[in-house]
Amino acid sequence: MTADAFLFWFLAFVTVVSGLSVILMVNPIYSALSLAMTMIGVAAIFVTLNAYFLAGVQLIVYAGAVMVLFVMVLMLFDLKHEIQAFTRGRLTGAIKIASVGILSGLIVGAVTMGLKTPVVITASSDVAAAPTVDTTRALAENLFIKNVLGFEVLGVMLLVIAVGAVALSRSKGGTHARD
Amino acid sequence: MTTMGSTTIEIAINLVKTILVFLMMVQAVPILVWLERRGSAFIQNRFGPNRVGPLGLVQLLADAVKFLKKEDFVPEKGNRFLFYCAPVFAMIPGAIAYMAIPMSVPLVTESYTFLIQGYEINVGIVFILGISSLAAYTILMAGWGSGSKFSLMGALRASAQIISYELALGLAIVGVILLYGTFNLAEMIQSQSGSLNFQGFGYTVAANWLPNWGIFYQPIGALLFFAATFAESNRLPFDLAEGEAELVAGFHTEYGGFKMLMFFIGEYAHMMVASGLMVTFFFGGYSIWNFSPEEVHSWIMNTFSVAPFTANVLNSIIHFLSYTIKFALFLWIFIHVRWTLPRFRYDQLMDLGWKTMLPWALANSILTAAIIFIGSHFTL
Repeated sequence: MTADAFLFWFLAFVTVVSGLSVILMVNPIYSALSLAMTMIGVAAIFVTLNAYFLAGVQLIVYAGAVMVLFVMVLMLFDLKHEIQAFTRGRLTGAIKIASVGILSGLIVGAVTMGLKTPVVITASSDVAAAPTVDTTRALAENLFIKNVLGFEVLGVMLLVIAVGAVALSRSKGGTHARD
Repeated sequence: MTTMGSTTIEIAINLVKTILVFLMMVQAVPILVWLERRGSAFIQNRFGPNRVGPLGLVQLLADAVKFLKKEDFVPEKGNRFLFYCAPVFAMIPGAIAYMAIPMSVPLVTESYTFLIQGYEINVGIVFILGISSLAAYTILMAGWGSGSKFSLMGALRASAQIISYELALGLAIVGVILLYGTFNLAEMIQSQSGSLNFQGFGYTVAANWLPNWGIFYQPIGALLFFAATFAESNRLPFDLAEGEAELVAGFHTEYGGFKMLMFFIGEYAHMMVASGLMVTFFFGGYSIWNFSPEEVHSWIMNTFSVAPFTANVLNSIIHFLSYTIKFALFLWIFIHVRWTLPRFRYDQLMDLGWKTMLPWALANSILTAAIIFIGSHFTL
């Protein structure tokens, strides 16, 4: 086994195991920490694929900011109420069945796709050429020149979502209602 | 640039370097602790530890033995797994991030270029920021795993603070990235060589008596970055996480012995990363003011009449010393500030982060981008 293959299998194992423990853990804090571990694993896989910039951004945004907020919020909340609300009921059952369906569809899809297309990787051409290409510049050109409209629209949408979330929490009956 | 894992030799060299840099950082911690205690004593008109050995230097050894011999315990209400994980994780982000900082000119032999840094990554800054942003987890794990209210409150404060100041930290560097046009730390240091010359609007303003350091181009960025790193490493004036009047010792209230020491090493590792980045971004890195590495190399060759390879080694050592002097200066500033400034109140801390530093950093990056664009496209 080459070093690259070993790295891939090791990182894939870590990522998949921590991904599984996100849904299998009983304590939500462990789940959140496992999700953070999954994101770190994905970032490490990005590094092995020479996508350094993407790996760094993945660490900064998802592992470093979003998940930390998740963990903090989980630590502050009393989760027993939430768990009780989501263990029984018709709606919850429907959501459970739907997610099982989606998961099995994903697995079946992955297996059939994997069987159909033979994996042909000529390692020398792709991997050796990658470091010389400035991937960060390519990414920037893609985002800010080619698809600049979509990128900006997404940014505006995110802003709208943030403002909307604040407005909802401040309105009557919200968590931060003014009166 | 060779990729990190291309050959077995490369992997082996990188592993050895990883261990070496880590040991270097761990070895620097006792010296810093000594400096901190003696320095604080002199600042406060005390003596500090001065009994064990010359100048109290052997006190550190005694402390290390004391730390190792202390009882190893887990609080009854705590979570054993997280409680043990947290101090181990505390050392990792700082150590990995520090390895990406170049500490001297690469040592060139006929067949191999030996970098005096853990590894070279083309997007060095992004990588360092990403890795060091993981430090919040260690604090949260320690706070939750201790099963104590003081620890949890300290951990929540600390991680909220780290997230808040990360934004200002990242935005303060944007100006630097725009200025040098690269994410690569070694290339940044190269573009800071020579003497100061501003280019733009079709003019070149040169000042031969000043080095071409980033601080002269990005003074606001440097100030914001340095202030934000204080918050990132949870040191005074931003050490709300361990405000002892309110929270005993914050997230490491329940820790003792060697586990406590590991948190200490983590904190000092953050200081070292911050100092190393300050030197690299704003103070020319390992480069010596007015002398390029090639000039130093030929000077060594002429003065000592040695073989080119020995001259290469000496060159690397001299530049490493240059880096270390600048690096130590910033570490001292960290220590001096800790014993000079009082602690912020929590709302002041958040106000400073979100309402002052973030807008300033944003304005700085927009202004820098505008000036670079206008300066390179139009002439006066």
